[in-house]
Amino acid sequence: MKLATRSQADQERTAANHVAARSAGRPRSSRSRRLALRSAGFLIPAAAVYSVFLVYPLLKSLIGSLFEWKGFRTVGFAGLENFERLFQGRNLELLTAASAHNVMWFFAILLVQNILGLVIAYVLFLRGPRYSFFQAWFFFPAILSPVLVGALWKLLLAPGGPMEWLLHSTGLSQEPVTVLGDSNWALSILILVDIWNWIGLPILVFMAGLHAIDPGIFEAARLDGASASRALWEVAVPLLIPSVSTLTILTFINSFSQFDLVYIMQGGQAGPNGATDTLVTLFYRLAFGATGSVGINDVGLALALGTLLFLFLVAVSLISLRYFNRRSALTEG
Amino acid sequence: MKHGILRLPANILLGAWTLIIAVPMYIMVVSCFKTTQEIYSNPIALPQSWDFGNFIDAWVRANFDVYTLNSVLVTVGAVVLTIVLAALASFPLSRLSVWWVTPVLAFFLIGLMVPVRLGSVEMFVLMKELGLLDSHVGLILVYAAIRLPFAILIMSSFMRAVPKEFEDAARIDGAGDLRLLFNVLVPQIKPAVGIVAIFTTIAVWNDFFFPLMFIFDPDLRTLPLGLASFTGEYSTNWGLLFAGLTISTVPLTFAYVILSRQVREGVGAGGIK
Repeated sequence: MKLATRSQADQERTAANHVAARSAGRPRSSRSRRLALRSAGFLIPAAAVYSVFLVYPLLKSLIGSLFEWKGFRTVGFAGLENFERLFQGRNLELLTAASAHNVMWFFAILLVQNILGLVIAYVLFLRGPRYSFFQAWFFFPAILSPVLVGALWKLLLAPGGPMEWLLHSTGLSQEPVTVLGDSNWALSILILVDIWNWIGLPILVFMAGLHAIDPGIFEAARLDGASASRALWEVAVPLLIPSVSTLTILTFINSFSQFDLVYIMQGGQAGPNGATDTLVTLFYRLAFGATGSVGINDVGLALALGTLLFLFLVAVSLISLRYFNRRSALTEG
Repeated sequence: MKHGILRLPANILLGAWTLIIAVPMYIMVVSCFKTTQEIYSNPIALPQSWDFGNFIDAWVRANFDVYTLNSVLVTVGAVVLTIVLAALASFPLSRLSVWWVTPVLAFFLIGLMVPVRLGSVEMFVLMKELGLLDSHVGLILVYAAIRLPFAILIMSSFMRAVPKEFEDAARIDGAGDLRLLFNVLVPQIKPAVGIVAIFTTIAVWNDFFFPLMFIFDPDLRTLPLGLASFTGEYSTNWGLLFAGLTISTVPLTFAYVILSRQVREGVGAGGIK
């Protein structure tokens, strides 16, 4: 019935078009050009804003890494000089340290946050809709800004603050809490705060993934006598590859873009003693100068770092998308 | 599945994580009513008196009224601009079947993959040249540019699923392109508009990076930027700090309570289609 009406409407439309085309006496190519012109009016506003305020600055930043800068002005072509300087002396030390922190951040989130998220999602999935409150509650911190989350935890973890009080009064520790000022602890604490902030995301993604699995598969596992935990690791996880791939890429991009938490909890210098420096805080200091000392910046160096990070992030995202697509095609096939 | 054995550890996990979120939130809210001394001596006790003095101080003296208003202006501006521009662009991209649709769509979708902050130096230079530093308009334009790829992806794919009959009926009624788009197609894709509005709101409302770069006038600060400078300025007055944090939490929490249902409905409607 529906098909019939559709094809009828189609016929009428083509007939109408033919009449219109014939009566206007225009060939087909002119009609499609008119259509393109009419569409341009719809596309141009979005394309203009997107090109001017995003694409153009990004492209210019990539090209700008090949120039010598004085303040925010280019003063001449520099070739690869900025890149060479980035890999020398003090700059290389900063670059290596920041990269190592980002890599740690990535693996910690990938393993701890995503596995914890998977287990919680699985429990909530087994318990069914009566437990949907927990999903909403666990996602709640994710709607808060990293600035707010960072400021909150900075207060909670301050020496003499609420966390110290809790540890002392429960007898878990009698030491003063100085983790944020301790370079052995500072980075791990920031990563833990990030996990607290974003645990809801893997829960959400894994829940969606679990709901997409045919319930008959879990039923079959149950009939085979598989325990709930074996059903998770041996039955569900292999079928959750698409969710894992989404989360891996998101974790990767987010870990390598860390800025807000570090800036709020440890300042632009990413203290203590650079222990929490990331590639983007380093980029920010190079580009805009350290906080409070405007003018001491090195835009050429910042753009060289930005260009490398840009190419790295885009390349890895593309490769992993490809890899996971093939993997999921294999599992489906 | 036999989950009898796992019931206890699972309950402990759910309970523990519930507390890990609840305790900091509880401390944040009760501390608003306390003096710094009270917070130090017992952070989890209820306050001696429910004194709103810290809220009033944060709201008026620490300018949270101004920051909140600025955040509302920027967020509403960015969300409206993003949705209008994305609706316009999605119209030809979803309703036409000509060769250039795919490359144009791909051009927009590149923006989903790139780390936008790495373009910030040239964005700063551009803003300076256009006289858009220290201006909410500048922020709104940058946010719209960043959010457009996601908005176009969602809205054009929903629009593609609207049956051709709606379009034909409107054409027979003599509707032009704009009326067809905004009176017929957009109402058909309300769930998509909702998803875009919610995600754009969260991203813009919470953003700290771009105000940090583009806004220097204290009267133009948005909430995250205001909050950041406020925590430095009043670092010894804990009651006031917690009051500022609580004030910044309220708007999105309120929206989350109302809209988390709408998000689920939106996703549900998308699934049914």
